[in-house]
Amino acid sequence: MPSALYRPHGFAVNGYSMNKEPWSNKNADVCIRCATCMAICPVSRVTPLFPGPKQAGPGAERFRRPDDPPVDQWIDLCIGCHLCDMVCSSGVNISELNLIAKTKYLDEKGRPFRDWILSQIHLFSWFGSLFSHVANRLLRSPIIKWMLDSLFSIDRRRELPLYQSPTFRQWFRGNPTKGNRKIAYFYGCYTNTNEVDVGKATVQVLEANDFEVFLPPQRCCGIPMLSNGDFEGARRLGLWNIPPLLHTIRSGSDIVFSSTSCGHMIKHEYSHLLSIPGAEEVAKHLFDIFDFLRNLKENDGLNTKFKALSLKTAYFAPCHLRSLGIGLPAFEILRLIPGLQVDPIDADCCGLGGTFGFKKEKYEISQEIGKDLAEAIDGLKPEIVLSDCEGCRMQIRHLTGLKVLHPIQILRDALIFSKTE
Amino acid sequence: MHYDIIIIGMGLSGLMAAKTAVEMGKKVLIVGKGVGSLSLFSNTIDVLGSISNKMTLIDILSQWIKDHPKHPYAKVGLREMDQALSSFTSLFPPPYSFQTIGDGNWLIPTGVGTLRPTYLIPSTMVPGSSLKEGNGLIIGFKGFKDFYASWVAQQLKCRGFTLSLRDVFRQEITATALSRLIEKKGFRERMGREIRKHLKAETCVGLPALLGMNDPCSAKKDLEELIGAQVFEIPVLPPSIPGMRMFNRFKIWLIQRGVTFLLGYSVSKAILEKRRCEGIEVLHPPISTSYSSDRYILATGRFIGGGLKANEEKIFEPIFNLPVFQPKSREEWFQKSFLSDSPHPIHQAGILTDPSFRAVDEKGEWILENVWIAGSILSHHHWVDEKSREGIEITTGYMAAKQALKYEARGAGHAV
Repeated sequence: MPSALYRPHGFAVNGYSMNKEPWSNKNADVCIRCATCMAICPVSRVTPLFPGPKQAGPGAERFRRPDDPPVDQWIDLCIGCHLCDMVCSSGVNISELNLIAKTKYLDEKGRPFRDWILSQIHLFSWFGSLFSHVANRLLRSPIIKWMLDSLFSIDRRRELPLYQSPTFRQWFRGNPTKGNRKIAYFYGCYTNTNEVDVGKATVQVLEANDFEVFLPPQRCCGIPMLSNGDFEGARRLGLWNIPPLLHTIRSGSDIVFSSTSCGHMIKHEYSHLLSIPGAEEVAKHLFDIFDFLRNLKENDGLNTKFKALSLKTAYFAPCHLRSLGIGLPAFEILRLIPGLQVDPIDADCCGLGGTFGFKKEKYEISQEIGKDLAEAIDGLKPEIVLSDCEGCRMQIRHLTGLKVLHPIQILRDALIFSKTE
Repeated sequence: MHYDIIIIGMGLSGLMAAKTAVEMGKKVLIVGKGVGSLSLFSNTIDVLGSISNKMTLIDILSQWIKDHPKHPYAKVGLREMDQALSSFTSLFPPPYSFQTIGDGNWLIPTGVGTLRPTYLIPSTMVPGSSLKEGNGLIIGFKGFKDFYASWVAQQLKCRGFTLSLRDVFRQEITATALSRLIEKKGFRERMGREIRKHLKAETCVGLPALLGMNDPCSAKKDLEELIGAQVFEIPVLPPSIPGMRMFNRFKIWLIQRGVTFLLGYSVSKAILEKRRCEGIEVLHPPISTSYSSDRYILATGRFIGGGLKANEEKIFEPIFNLPVFQPKSREEWFQKSFLSDSPHPIHQAGILTDPSFRAVDEKGEWILENVWIAGSILSHHHWVDEKSREGIEITTGYMAAKQALKYEARGAGHAV
């Protein structure tokens, strides 16, 4: 029996007791081997290479000792969707056990340079946006994709996200908002340089609800690093991000986010996994944009002067949204728009897993998982698919070729007359 | 956030309570630590399997209720039991529907080769009810370790055969992976052809219950055409694919109707004031979110999920700290032998309620006037011996919601 959980670079890790509360780190022992996690794991459903959460998490944990070499060659196949955590009635924090084991494995075996590139995309983003015409041509070029595939094992079949210019920040500087109350917005790297309209829509909806939006100083939230097992890198970003956010909330403003992955990272992982001081306090005032709007509605403060939108859409709940534990607030708000048909999609994980699906050795797994989602979408025949996570949006476009938007863009279209770009 | 009703527990009783409340137009929150026991059990619906199948269930139950006045069924009543079961079956329209055979209990094969009585059977398992000595071929898959066809067949006095298919050969395959393969036409065709080669005079073919998560009836129909015999599913070890079908069906149905569906979070605190629950807190570190309602349903199950907890001396209920009806001492929890003919007294432990499904003390007074109890956490049933689990879950979940929604808060101390 391992006497201590491997602590990557000295981080304290809190597990959950049977009541899903913070507890000490012997959590693998409460696993009763009921196999419910096996029923939900998207990776073990499509490949025999991954033994499944029961074996990979609490099962293998009993063999992991801090000084022994790792036996987890398959551990990086855990996509980090957290679905196993959610269905476990015993409260085992399986995906966290996997992440820590993966970090140890990579610490010892060495990390591929490719993983570093994929987790540092935010460093190139401003450059990509500045020279977006050239950058996009390169990103689309089959020769460049072949090179990335051969040199760095970034699968050439994956469409690489294109850059937009001007960035969201640049647009925001030229379009200040007016309102009676102030609110901060954590927009996330992808919104800034690759999907600017999501940021615009968020700001426009907030302004339509009488908020003056401001952007606190912010950098990449660090989730690409964390999911690639780079706790140090993620922590550095967290230590940079929290102080301005702390200052924001102490001055009396709440903070909203439109990317469920960034939000989940800051709201939950910064505090208990990365032990960033001040993160707990920030978390109490940090909200998913639709959770925030839903709270406004509860207090009769939501602008519901929606014009009718006659559209047939389908809504996909991202894994990180489910693990925020707030239900499906976007779905609840969209149902208020007259004429809009929103069908919830009966599928669990899109299969992209952030950087997971870009990696050559994982591309096919990613696509197999995505096939189940594509089938579920096909059954509904929507004109547009809606999802709060940029990763899911990329994957759904890649799988189906359909138009995919963030639900905030549809909400903006119902409130204001500017069309989605 | 405020709701008309908050349901704690996402097993079959919690889900039925949520369905019942939604159908009455209410704003519902259902919070569950996990998916409940649906992923563990076979998910045929047992109502009272311990009584022989010579009578109709209605007749059996009329007498049973008279003989067991403290049993949950006695509190529900025959008419409401019928309505509850109809409400359940209406959630599963054809082709994947739940059927009775002759209005009574019927025997179907299990994953260990025995025959088990049950009442409502999904259409993919129905042909198994006509399995007789010699008329069935039981098929397993090499690499799928949760079902041993030759052994099961031997128990059932039929022939058994284990398929080696190239996708599965030499590897281990999980239930979900195999179920997913069966949903693919190419794999099904190869599988069907292989089975047909081995079929002799048998009229039905039994497979582990893996005909797919999403459309098992199409898979069944396809295989029947390829094989030339009836195909039926046999429930196997967890994870239960039929159980997940049931959970997914409830989940999507409830979400489509606007239920706030919080899977994966437990209630860390109940806020009690005098004899009322005023709210619950759900902890997702570091955030604790509060939810309030005038009505709560406790449907947290028994020991596996932590609805009831036991230390060395006592059994207790961790959320509301309700008193648990239980044997007087630890020594009396179990019979001397594991497979004793008499039920183990611990299984009768649970929350004692009045006919309105609210927990009562020794004087028969409500402990909390706005909390209703549903499902296997109730006292005075022996579901293992009675073979009554799903029936108790469905009927008490339905009834607790109906009772809860009659309640109007009129200020402290006054209750309907």
